[in-house]
Amino acid sequence: MTSADLMQFIRTRKGTAFSVAAHVLVLCWSLFSFSARPMVLPAEDLVPVDVISEDNSSKAKAGALTGRKEVAKLLADKIGEKKPTEDIVGKVDPKPVTETDAAPTPQPKPEKPVEKKPDPPKPVEKKPDPPKPVAETKPEPPKPAPAEKPKPEEKKPDPFNPDQIASVLNKDKPKQPPKPQQTAAATPEPPKHKSERKFDAEKMSSLINQKDPTRQAVTGTELNANAALGTVRGAAAENAASWVALFQQQVNRCWKPPYTSVDANPVVAFNVRLRRDGTLEGPPVPVGAADTPFLRAYRDSAQRAIIACAPYNLPPKYYDDWGYFQPVFNEDARRT
Amino acid sequence: MKRIHHMNDSSELRRLLISPTRRELIAGAVALGAAAIGAPRSVLAQTRVPIPAGEFAPIPIAVPPFVPGGAGDADVANGIAQVINNNLKRSGLFAPVDQAAFPERISNFDAPPQIASWRPLNIQGLVTGRATRQPDGRLKAEFRLWDAVSGQQRTGQQYVTAPEYWRRIAHIISDQIYTAMTGEKGYFDSRVVFVDESGPADRRVKRLALMDQDGANVRYLTRGADLVLTPRFSPSSQEITYMEFGQGDPKVYLFNIETGQREIVGNFPGMSFSPRFSPDGQRIILSLQQGGNSNLFVMDLRSRTTTRLTDTPAIDTSPCYSPDGSQICFESDRGGKPQIYVMSANGGNAQRISFGEGSYSTPVWSPRGDYIAFTKQGGGQFAIGIMKTDGSGERILTSGFHNEGPTFSPNGRVLMFFRDLGGTGGPSLFSIDVSGRNELKVPTPGYASDPAWSPLLS
Repeated sequence: MTSADLMQFIRTRKGTAFSVAAHVLVLCWSLFSFSARPMVLPAEDLVPVDVISEDNSSKAKAGALTGRKEVAKLLADKIGEKKPTEDIVGKVDPKPVTETDAAPTPQPKPEKPVEKKPDPPKPVEKKPDPPKPVAETKPEPPKPAPAEKPKPEEKKPDPFNPDQIASVLNKDKPKQPPKPQQTAAATPEPPKHKSERKFDAEKMSSLINQKDPTRQAVTGTELNANAALGTVRGAAAENAASWVALFQQQVNRCWKPPYTSVDANPVVAFNVRLRRDGTLEGPPVPVGAADTPFLRAYRDSAQRAIIACAPYNLPPKYYDDWGYFQPVFNEDARRT
Repeated sequence: MKRIHHMNDSSELRRLLISPTRRELIAGAVALGAAAIGAPRSVLAQTRVPIPAGEFAPIPIAVPPFVPGGAGDADVANGIAQVINNNLKRSGLFAPVDQAAFPERISNFDAPPQIASWRPLNIQGLVTGRATRQPDGRLKAEFRLWDAVSGQQRTGQQYVTAPEYWRRIAHIISDQIYTAMTGEKGYFDSRVVFVDESGPADRRVKRLALMDQDGANVRYLTRGADLVLTPRFSPSSQEITYMEFGQGDPKVYLFNIETGQREIVGNFPGMSFSPRFSPDGQRIILSLQQGGNSNLFVMDLRSRTTTRLTDTPAIDTSPCYSPDGSQICFESDRGGKPQIYVMSANGGNAQRISFGEGSYSTPVWSPRGDYIAFTKQGGGQFAIGIMKTDGSGERILTSGFHNEGPTFSPNGRVLMFFRDLGGTGGPSLFSIDVSGRNELKVPTPGYASDPAWSPLLS
């Protein structure tokens, strides 16, 4: 239908055309205005509560009670404790060190790695220090300290460092004022990158992350209270108030799968549509074919379970997810 | 009903396609729009929710008394339901609901039951049936298995037979229910041959006896003048092979259950032991004693020729065939202690499959092919166990003072064996399923030993 035809149509059958236009308008308007959500219940955190027998209770606890023994291997071995406080100061060093390298483009001193580590505060200074004076000041402290074994000392420098740092800090303070110049000097940054690109094997140590593993502090004497979490027998994960867990729990009450002696691992899936009130919109539709008599019996048992346990009590907040989903019944969990 | 609806839909659709008026076009557009709005929910990938199976529990099921078709049929109608209930319960896979809990009395077999009223029982299946004596004197039994949740009929059959075979019909119906609910073949319509023992311990009379698998209908096949041992069923279930010690050497007999005829298979020099049929029923495998050791032989029943399978200076005995007839398992002490070996049915290299502590004997291959059952002796105990056919996954099902001689049910789900508690008493028969959960005593008139399970009769 060309536009000419359309005009012709509108002219000859004004009534109909108007009617169509009006209908379309109303329809479009209603699509957006009426689509306001029907009353949605406020989302609530749900915690599955189930009445269980003593037997089940003891089974559920089994994971928690035995958890520690099992998990002990999973946790990091406890290493001799190191003192974190002093290290913190040391940690600041490495980053600034790389920057200092950038500043002294002339690369006069091969010993720099030695210097850098003792000079944590320098970062601030270095940017302003293209004029090398800073670089000169730095060499002085290192030379006295390390003969040729700077690296070992660096790692254990705890006693020395504080002093050195203090001296450096003092020196720095006067230099801090120049900071404003940095904006102007900011341009020199590119040279820094260049220096980084030039890989110097002797500076390797400066690239290594020298932070001590902070986890040690956490894994000290106290073990994780949820030690069983994530292990096969741990039940903690099942306490999550997810709609998946809720559905699993509810449908499982009705599921009486036939016993299998063969090492089959039957898997049966269904497409299930639920209304907002948790009732079934229609019978569950099996996905795929059940080829063997056993699979058929297995599928029937699962289908009975889905129907028998409806309506389901699931969090309304997640209706988008559970309005149409695919439960997959299988045997695996029981066999492990 | 559903089908009719579909037809309406499609005819409407056709009309739309053939002569679309403007109004219908608009209606179609609206419908399309609506479909588009509804679409996202179905088009988007659904969440896959894994549902792990819980602990195994017997399937609850209700088998109310059958409806008597006539005035005199009430006993049979009740009896059939009782036998079915008993079978299902003994299988360990079902939990028949007690009659007292039934919400309605099934009085009309032709009308579907009020499924809604049965729902509180949480049953999975409901069996209804009718037993009618027909004018010609025969018994007609019908049954239907209902899905107790959806209310649909799962299966249904009717059988006509002589009235005295009503138990057999009940067994057949039990098998149908078993298959429909578990997906496995049943085993209720089968028989067991065993050695019935009576009299004082020093002068035991041993007779060959036959009974239904649930212990009913016991029949004696021999008089008890001579000692009988190791009866075994033929795959055709019409014949039994067994050993009899008369005067002189023990002889291997073939016994036809239907005709009562018996014949001597052969007159072998020395002792012969443990005759057993091949799966096709054409051959018998047995061991013959020669001097201090014994070897395996196969005898072709038609040509009456024998073939030697093993030739070792050891005791090879208790042979058994795999269900496809390609392999045999047997017991041999060639490694020092009795152990289980597997080899090709034509002989050749034997592979040892049992490696546990103690000694293994009386291997039996499951009709299903997945397990080999055995008697294990060690630590002063006799145990019944199963292992996979490669020897892995050994599992002891029961153990005690004396357990021996396992035999598989036709579907490979249950084992029967005999147990002797020691003391002055005698042995009796027990059954246990391959999971080891469900051990039951099998009722016999007296002491009993050496059971052998028949294949399915039907």
